[in-house]
Formats: sequence, C-alpha cells, structure tokens
Amino acid sequence: MSDEQAATRAFRFTGRWQDYAPIAFTNLLLTIVTLGVYVFWARTRTRRYLWSRTQFIDDRLEWTGTGLELFVGYLLAFVLFVVPFGVINLVLQGVMMRGHQGAAGLMVGLLYLAILYLFGVARFRALRYRLSRTLWHGIRGGSDDQGVVYGWSYFWRTLLSFLTIYLMTPWAMAKLWNQRWNAMSFGSLPFRSHARWQPVFKRFLLFYVVPIALSFVVGILIAIFAGVAAALKSDAPPTSGMIVTIALAGVLFYILFFGVLGLVAMAFYAAFFREAIGATSLGKLEFGFEASTMDWVKLYLGNLGLTVVTFGVGYIFVPYRNWAFFIRHLAAYGEVEIDTLTQSRTREPGQGEGLLDAFDVGAF
Amino acid sequence: MRADVWHYDGVTALRRRVELVAEGDGFTLADDGQAGERVAFAELTPGDGDAGQASFGRKGHPGWRITFDGAVPADLAAALPGAHRYGRWVDRLGLWRAVGVFAVLAAIVVVVVLRTPALLARMIPASAEQRLGDVMMGDFGRKGCSDPAGRAALATLVQRVDPDDRTLEVHVVKLPMVNAVTLPGGRIVVFDGLIQAAQSPDEVAGVIAHEIGHVRGRDVMESLLRQMGLSVLLGGMEGHVGGYTNALLATAYSRDAEARADGRAIDMLRDAKLSPVPTARFFDRLGKGAGSTERMFAYIASHPVSADRAKRFRASVAKGAVYTPALDAREWAALRGICSDETDTIDWRF
Repeated sequence: MSDEQAATRAFRFTGRWQDYAPIAFTNLLLTIVTLGVYVFWARTRTRRYLWSRTQFIDDRLEWTGTGLELFVGYLLAFVLFVVPFGVINLVLQGVMMRGHQGAAGLMVGLLYLAILYLFGVARFRALRYRLSRTLWHGIRGGSDDQGVVYGWSYFWRTLLSFLTIYLMTPWAMAKLWNQRWNAMSFGSLPFRSHARWQPVFKRFLLFYVVPIALSFVVGILIAIFAGVAAALKSDAPPTSGMIVTIALAGVLFYILFFGVLGLVAMAFYAAFFREAIGATSLGKLEFGFEASTMDWVKLYLGNLGLTVVTFGVGYIFVPYRNWAFFIRHLAAYGEVEIDTLTQSRTREPGQGEGLLDAFDVGAF
Repeated sequence: MRADVWHYDGVTALRRRVELVAEGDGFTLADDGQAGERVAFAELTPGDGDAGQASFGRKGHPGWRITFDGAVPADLAAALPGAHRYGRWVDRLGLWRAVGVFAVLAAIVVVVVLRTPALLARMIPASAEQRLGDVMMGDFGRKGCSDPAGRAALATLVQRVDPDDRTLEVHVVKLPMVNAVTLPGGRIVVFDGLIQAAQSPDEVAGVIAHEIGHVRGRDVMESLLRQMGLSVLLGGMEGHVGGYTNALLATAYSRDAEARADGRAIDMLRDAKLSPVPTARFFDRLGKGAGSTERMFAYIASHPVSADRAKRFRASVAKGAVYTPALDAREWAALRGICSDETDTIDWRF
C-alpha cells in the first residue's frame, strides 16, 4: 500500500440513518411481537448493517454472527448463571428472614466477588466472539484463550483499585486492555498492545480534585449567603421566597455537581481511549483514536436528546450512532501485508456473548 | 453465462477479480483465463439482504466469498440463493405474515403463563408449599408475640372463624403496620398495628377470614409461580419494559385474588355467625385515612383498601341473622395485649 493511500482515512463509515431506519423499526416491531426473543436477531441484523457500511482500506467488513448463536449464548448464560443466582437469592431471603443478617451480608459479599470474576470472563469472551465474527478480505479474528485467566486478572486488579480508593483504576484499565488485546489476533497476525496508565493519570485525578474544589466554592458561597442573611435579619423566620431560592440553589448544585463529574468522566475516557487504541497494533498496522472530550460529550448529549425527545423510541438509533462515532474517529497507519495475511487458526467460539448479555454491557 | 466477480478464497487475504463461468448446476471461477475448481450452486450460502451488494459464501469454506459489483445478471440470479434479511423464519414467511403469527403466539403464551399458575398451585401439595415457605421465610412470623392469654384469645378467634382447619398457623408480630399477610406456606401473620387499630374483635376476625381465604385459594403459591413465569418470559425484553409489564400484570391478578379471598371471607363469617359489618367499618376507616397499607413483599398478596370492599361486606348481611361477637371483652383485652412483653430489637446473628 502506498503512502498516498495511507494518508486518507483507513476506516470509513458509509451508513446513512435513513437506510438504517427501516432496519431499526422492523427490529423493534419484531422484538415486541416475539416478547423480546427477536432481540438477538435484531442485534445481529443491526451489526450486519453497521459492519457492511464500515470500509477498511479497500473493502468493507462483514459480520458473520447469527441471531441463533446469540440466543443460544443467552440460554446458556441463563442456565449457568441466572438460575443459580435466582436460587441463591431465594436462600438469601430465607437467611434474612431467620434473622441471620450477618450471614446474609457475607453471602451477598461472596456473590459480588463471583459476579466480579464472571464479569471479567464475559468481557474477554465478548471481544473474542466479536472478532471471530468479523470478516475482512475473507479473514476473521479470534483468540485461542478462553478468558479464564483474564477473569482472575480482572478480579484482583479491580479489587486492588477498589482498595486504593480507585487510585489504581487507570493502571488496572490499561493493564487489562493490554492483556485483552494481546490475547487477540486477526487472521495470522496477533494484536499487540502496550497502553500505559501514566499519560491518563493526571486526568483521572480530576475525579478527586473537582468535587473537592466544587464543594469548597459552594461552601464559601453558602457562608457568604448565610452571613448576609444573618446580617440583614437576625431572628426573623425565613420567608417562603428564601426557602424556594435555597431549594432551587440546592437542585442547581446537584445538577452542576453531576454534570461536572460527567464531564470529568468524558475527559478521562476520551484520554484513555486515545491512549489505549493508540497503543494497539496489528502487524505493521498502528491504530489511533481521535475523539476529543467534546466529541464524547456531543455523542452522549445527542443520544440522550434523541431518546428524550422521541419518548424513548429514538433509543433504537443509539447503536448506530455509537458505531458511527467509533469508526469515524478510528484511524490506522502503516500497512497491511495482504500477501502474508492468512486465515485465523483460532477456535471459533460456538455461541455468542451470552454472559455479557446477562450483564448488559458493551464489549469495548 | 459469465460474470465478473470479486473473490476471496477464505485462506489468504488476497482479493481476486475473477470470471464466474456458469455451466449447468455449478460454476468455475476463472482467474486470468485459468479455470479453478468447480463449485455447485447448491453449495452457496446467501449473503446479507441489507448489505447493498450481492455476496455469497460457500458451505464448509469459512471466509470464501464471491461478490458482484452491481446487480446480479438476471439469468444467474435464478440459480443463486436468496438473501438473508430478518432471520430464517421471518424471511420464509414474509415480514407482515410473521408479525401476525408471532403476535398470535405471543398472546397465547401470555395467556398460558398467566393461567397455569392457578392450576399448578393447586397441584402442588400443601406440604411442599410449607417446606418452600420454611426455606423462604424461616421463622419469620413464627416467633410472634407470645403472651399466653393473648395467644389463647387468638386461637379462640381463629377457631371461631374457621373451625375445620386445624393446621392453620396464625401469628401476631409486633410491627406498627396496619396490615396482615399470608406468607408462602400458608402462614398468616397479623401485625400488631392492625389489632391496635381495630375497634372490635369482629374487625380482626374479618381480616383473618380474608387471609384464610388466601390460604384456601393457594393465592400466594399462585402469585409466586406467576412471578417466576413472567420474569422468565419477559426476561428477554430490554431493561424496564419487561419490569413494568411484569408489575402491571401481577397487580391485575393480585386484585383478582383479593376479591376472591373477600368472597371466601364473607362465606366464613356467615357460617360462623359473625357480623360482616365491623369488617366493612374497618375498611371504611382505613380508606378514609392515608389508605396506604404498606406492601411488604411483592409476591405477598397486597390488600388494596377500597370502598367497594366495604360495600361488599356490608351487602352480605343476611336479614334476620343473629350474630354473636367474636370474642368477649376479657378475651379481646387479652388479644390486644398479646405483644405487651415484646421488644422491637433485631439481633444480628451468624
């Protein structure tokens, strides 16, 4: 591939929401009349569309997963996971009713730990499943790893970050990203990732600094306000107007507080994804991600606005928007050696991301 | 028949421009005039109908693809499999017919799931339900208020309402709620708050009769089964939609069960020669207040207080019937004092 081609974007998204709309609406309709069972086929159809409108260099991607395998994955997760947890819940209730709150607490604690481990495994397997169902130039991705080891890694790193009042979260996230991607491959090429936590740590500290600073400022404002109020009328009861003002100020502060925290989260995730994807490579191909904090905010507010304005119906376009956002900011540099890229020899997983479905989170 | 197609062999990533040469029930892909192996049309698997270009795979050869640039030549199209779009069943039926079929099936499934619990609940032996109740509830309610005179009065009252059933378990628990519940396993728990709010033993008798009505109807087991069925059925629905639907359906059925329990209670009161009027008055008073009896657990039958219920009890008064009080004054005082020795502490145990 020449330098000239590399200069243009390697990834391009060519979908139009007008083309996706019929898919989204028929998916919604079929999901309703099948009492939700169609959801797996709906998800598959959406992915088939999104993948087919994703151009990488000279050809589009293809999603080869099926609704049936997602459904089977869900059923398996249901039998292996939801049913046992339901039974445990029942027992838990019995234990509580007998007044053994301590034992119940212990059980809940153990349950959380088990969920934490399974969550890690699920996340790994979801990525593996998606790569194994993604076809480009007739070649698919995958992993020979089952995610069991990754589950433990996820487990202890998450606990460690929890024990350090989350200060080690960026470290855990970067290490886990690397571990996940280093186990993946596409065709005959392994992914390599060496994301570092140091570049994103400063932004992460905003999670701590901003709330403190904000509380400090508001504290001063309240003190001034109280001082003024006290100086004006020392012992008159507060008027209703004053109470309303204070209540409004409280609500405003609440919105501001979480709005600002949301902004901090966006800033951090923007930096993290730039670092993590930027540190990932496949053969001689280096990846990059160019979404700024502002881009993330726009995506989030757009999704929120779309859903609210349409009374929730617009939610069916959220997967489309997210994927378009992802592909439009995804970059690749370097070259693909088509001549040496051959089919993946990894074992294809038999079923879909059932476990992760049970947790209801995305793969990235 | 010939057509130019793009081809991947699924082994290497090389993209080839080849000529598809169809002959009979199969074709060969000619690369620079060199014919490759022969492939039968029957081996081809359909591509995605939404992809915007016609593409086909090959059975047993993952990654093998032929893709047409534009429309498939008409004479070739007949030999190629039709594209996949919605999923196999829907593709075969057509979208609208499939929607109709699924909607009818869904309605049947919902009706079956809502109807079977009632049948199933009656098929489960009472002893099994009792064991389930023990697992879920432990000793809750059993370690109720234990003042001996109060317990004796309570036993008299229960005996009076339902002289036939010797296995009934009724307890009073010291909680300030004006409510009574039937737990899984047919255990009845009356909260002390209700006894304190009642103005006569006949009012308490009416409430207990209602709870016995639930026990006889196996209502708690039924609602447990229904909850389980619904949560499995609606589990596939995204997020809150399933939850709301579930809650809505469950509430509708719970109201139904309440009405039936009231019917049984009215029969019991009549047989026991207890006046239904105090019970009606009790409902009136509750309705006038906040009217919000607490719901303790979702699966325990709830007791909506309404003027209709009071009216129904009042209407059951038979002309010329002679009613006697449920308890005498001494017994009533004992019942009111059943929790006098209790403390409200919850102890933590392992």
